[in-house]
Amino acid sequence: MTVFAPYIEYARKAFAREATYRIELLAEVGSVVLRVYLLRSLWTALYAHNIAPTGLPLHAMITYATVAMLMSLVLEVDGTRVIREKLREGGIALDLMKPIVVPFAYFSDGVGQTMVHALAILPSLLFSLLLVHIDVPSATTLAAFVLSFALGYGVNFFVNFLMNGVAFWTLETFGLQLIVRWISDLLSGQILPLAFFPGWFGRAVFALPFAAIYSTPLLIYIGIIPPQQWATALVVQAAWLVATAGASFLLWRAAARHVVVQGG
Amino acid sequence: MLAAYLQYWKINLLTMAEYRADFFMWLGFTIVYHGTALAALAVTMMRFPSMNGWNLREMFFLYALWMTAHELHNALFYNVVYVPEYIREGRFDRFFVRPFDTLFQVLTVPSRTFPDGFILGCVTLAIATGVAGIHISALTILVIAAVVCGGAGIDLGISLFVASLSFWLIRVDTLRWAVMSLEQDFTRYPISIYTRAVRIVLAYVLPFAFMNYFPASYLLGKHDTAFGLSPEVGLLTPLIGLLWSGISYVFWRFGLNRYQGTGS
Repeated sequence: MTVFAPYIEYARKAFAREATYRIELLAEVGSVVLRVYLLRSLWTALYAHNIAPTGLPLHAMITYATVAMLMSLVLEVDGTRVIREKLREGGIALDLMKPIVVPFAYFSDGVGQTMVHALAILPSLLFSLLLVHIDVPSATTLAAFVLSFALGYGVNFFVNFLMNGVAFWTLETFGLQLIVRWISDLLSGQILPLAFFPGWFGRAVFALPFAAIYSTPLLIYIGIIPPQQWATALVVQAAWLVATAGASFLLWRAAARHVVVQGG
Repeated sequence: MLAAYLQYWKINLLTMAEYRADFFMWLGFTIVYHGTALAALAVTMMRFPSMNGWNLREMFFLYALWMTAHELHNALFYNVVYVPEYIREGRFDRFFVRPFDTLFQVLTVPSRTFPDGFILGCVTLAIATGVAGIHISALTILVIAAVVCGGAGIDLGISLFVASLSFWLIRVDTLRWAVMSLEQDFTRYPISIYTRAVRIVLAYVLPFAFMNYFPASYLLGKHDTAFGLSPEVGLLTPLIGLLWSGISYVFWRFGLNRYQGTGS
């Protein structure tokens, strides 16, 4: 247990730090509710004037979009932003001297931050339910969804880690990161179901790591991925988790040797 | 004052020539930002060809009209956003000791604002106008230019109003952010998809609908199905832009006279 103590402390500190921004959290809930209203209007209008795609009736589409919105409360937290800040301000050198595994410490820090934003899920859900009806699947499906969501959280963390890790060489990654964020929002299935993409591109997007973040858990939730395919879907996600974690590990090893001092 | 303003832009453009890499980086940024938004729209509308009677080409024009007006606002008036920060940090008071209008001084604080987004907006709007099949004549070009200027005026009016509130309130970030997300997300679609209360807000309270929905309806020869207004309403945009920025300027002066500083 003592091995984990410092990491739990990191998570608690991050939680306390992030929890001071109460108004921002409230604004987050407001923004989610506003966007749930927007997507209800959007999909209702689209379904009213067009032929519905097979296998995805309006209620499933609205469920998909709303659950995606609630997931984004947690997934849009960049838990590894701290790497960039520590690099710029020099704190990273101190961290490297401490008797801890630094990437684990940052992961704990990220989890602590995420917990605060997870608190916004319940009020957001309650207010959203005033606007939309959400399908509730069976308990086993929910369990599979939670597992898949956890794997997606991991992939998301390491994709962010890789982005922020680039700062070891460039010191500034904000631009690159925003670009990756916008592209990943589109290709992860957060904005639209990936099945809407046409032709070969529609098949290719499923082969990218981004699909493991939003698309897989959401498709499990609304039942497009049936129980007999859960195992395959989860294994693919786990493979992405291992791949991105492995790449992060390699990057970290190369980076720790690369720390340079830039002025005071 | 005009001479000083021209001097300001001359310096800006010289900076741009000096930091060419920066300029192209920002341009790349803007392209990806609007590119992903348009891609999401295109993918959606390949599956659902009609959005309350608007097709993809018309939706593209709707977006391009808002984008150009918004980017014109960003190029000329973006500094207004920093006013709450200036006030909070006590940096606002320096504007009182100089012999220029305070708002003018705010707008000309050097901040390396490149008009990259506006340039991109003009190109996009030109393409969208052609694609949407609008009959191009000297008159339509004049109308579109006037609508873009009016739209930027509406944008300025609203952001100046929010900024003026910071003469009384210390933190307006959350409010500003809510208004901004309302603008960015809700102007993407014809306002006829929303419920009546939201339509009224977008048309009469925060008149974002005049940045694109009403003028686009007029230029594309569409019936307004949101309120059943005559299409010529779309020609009022420049007037509303003038009115809103005028009212906000009066409000700004009023706040300025009450202003006492935060003591920081």
